[in-house]
Amino acid sequence: MQPAVDLYELSKSFRVRRPRSGGIGARLSNFIAPDVEAVPAVDRLSFSIAPGERVAFIGPNGAGKSTTLKLLAGILQPDAGEVRVMGLVPSRQRTELAFAIGTVFGQRSQLWYQLPPRDTFELLGRVYEIDARAHARRMEALTAVFGLGGLMSTPVRHLSLGERMRCEIAASLLHSPRMLFLDEPTIGLDVSAKAAIRELLLTESTREGITLLLTSHDTGDMESVCDRVIVIHRGRLLWDDSIAALRKSFLSAKRVTFWSEAEHLDVTLPGVKVVSSAAHRTELEIESGATPLGQVVDAALRQSSITDMVIEDAPLDEVIRALYAKAERRCAT
Amino acid sequence: MTLTYLKKHTAYARIAMAQGRRERAELYGRVVFFAVILGVFSSLWRAVGEAGLPASGDPRALVWYLAATEWIMLSAPQIHLEIQEAIRRGDVVYRLGHPASYVMAEFAAGLGATALRMPFLGLTAFGCAFAFTRWTPPLSAIALFIPFAVLAAALLVALYLWIGLLAFWLQDVSPVFWVTQKLMFVFGGLMLPLAMYPSAMQKAAAFTPFPVMLFAPASIVLGTGLVRPVILARDLALWGGVMALVVQWTYRRAAAGLTVNGG
Repeated sequence: MQPAVDLYELSKSFRVRRPRSGGIGARLSNFIAPDVEAVPAVDRLSFSIAPGERVAFIGPNGAGKSTTLKLLAGILQPDAGEVRVMGLVPSRQRTELAFAIGTVFGQRSQLWYQLPPRDTFELLGRVYEIDARAHARRMEALTAVFGLGGLMSTPVRHLSLGERMRCEIAASLLHSPRMLFLDEPTIGLDVSAKAAIRELLLTESTREGITLLLTSHDTGDMESVCDRVIVIHRGRLLWDDSIAALRKSFLSAKRVTFWSEAEHLDVTLPGVKVVSSAAHRTELEIESGATPLGQVVDAALRQSSITDMVIEDAPLDEVIRALYAKAERRCAT
Repeated sequence: MTLTYLKKHTAYARIAMAQGRRERAELYGRVVFFAVILGVFSSLWRAVGEAGLPASGDPRALVWYLAATEWIMLSAPQIHLEIQEAIRRGDVVYRLGHPASYVMAEFAAGLGATALRMPFLGLTAFGCAFAFTRWTPPLSAIALFIPFAVLAAALLVALYLWIGLLAFWLQDVSPVFWVTQKLMFVFGGLMLPLAMYPSAMQKAAAFTPFPVMLFAPASIVLGTGLVRPVILARDLALWGGVMALVVQWTYRRAAAGLTVNGG
């Protein structure tokens, strides 16, 4: 089966001016013949995404995520390497590709601000050459799924951010793309709006078999929507596997919280440390492989009866932070 | 150019018209401003005429001339500001990804807004000019002037589009717009027909597109025969072609710049 996205040794660098410091001479030189440095944004990046996959594409700020998305959408041209999206070469077949992909940029908008979303949907219908009947059918379906009924006639400027984002995603799905690129689709949304967007992305991509490539700094987006995570750092591939595998590889500890009859628990075992302690509540961190979890629970039970207990993996945020830190250390050496 | 291509870009014109209908306050503001300046200048030209100053001409004709040039000027929306905002906010990334020509989409949107304004401002122009002068030029001259005014406004939209595209490099395109307006004032004959200018200035103006946008079409409304419609049509086509090339070239440079310098 042809991959939805196929990158091989993709590279892209930008020219950045480095102004010389000094007097008028230096300023004049900066104007006439500025010092220019090539800064790599994407550096020999290779990965492949199968049709229907939902992939989180993450990395610290400046890692090259947005540049990669723009390369995939054909907005930017690569310096080297090969890229195919839905079998098309984005830099050469941008218009054909536009019909096959949808894009959502969380901090940008394609809705006409003074007008109700309905007008933008009509415009997009024309732009994507959708015939009137198919457009009406598609609008009906999207209105039902995204709950747009009451929003369609409200000027965009009166919509909340969550409502606007629902409209933005629906607008990107209007032409039934087979691939959707999402750049921080939940940024700035409140908890319930985030949950609604994640749910919509998950159900719609499953129902229509849409391949998703999602960038986000919110680990909740990745965990709720994606099965696989690609991590880049300074334009290079750092990790490409399932989220579970990422946790497993970088998880160095588990957190156990006990609620006990005794006011305090004193569990002294190798690799076990108290993270926080309050009356009848003790939170411990247990290093992987140091002491089996069962022994820790036994030790706690020997001291007091336990009224409740929670065992958690470290938050995904911490896992990713550890991954970035490791990459930084590698770069520094 | 296929029918689909045409339909696609007409949709941009239609949505810009719809947006313009929502922004009525701006249109009403322009109408009031227009009426005020015509009132002020009709008093001024009358005073100049009564004083017998050499540059007077027919004060009534000068008011109609001003109504004509300002009609064209005020009808063209300042799309450079919208383009600049879209580039600053990054919303342009959506437009660049659509299966449509970015330049044509922006131009069509500009034409859509112009199409909404022209009838209102035209009524204001002719209504006020008549109210302040109690005189009308030959109706045939007015009828001939209108299509040229529409074409001149379209050329002005293309000029503003070009200024807007400069926002791919410049943080703020307002200085370029400001200089253009002054050039329009000086070389376009915004307030006074170029025929009243020193000959050196007239010769210099002939090398710019500004007379074709303002002076030449506005001269037609006076029916003096100073500007021949065929020549004006040729010049409009010529400058339209030049503007199309400049806009396309600028856009290509901007797109190339994006890919080289990032953004």
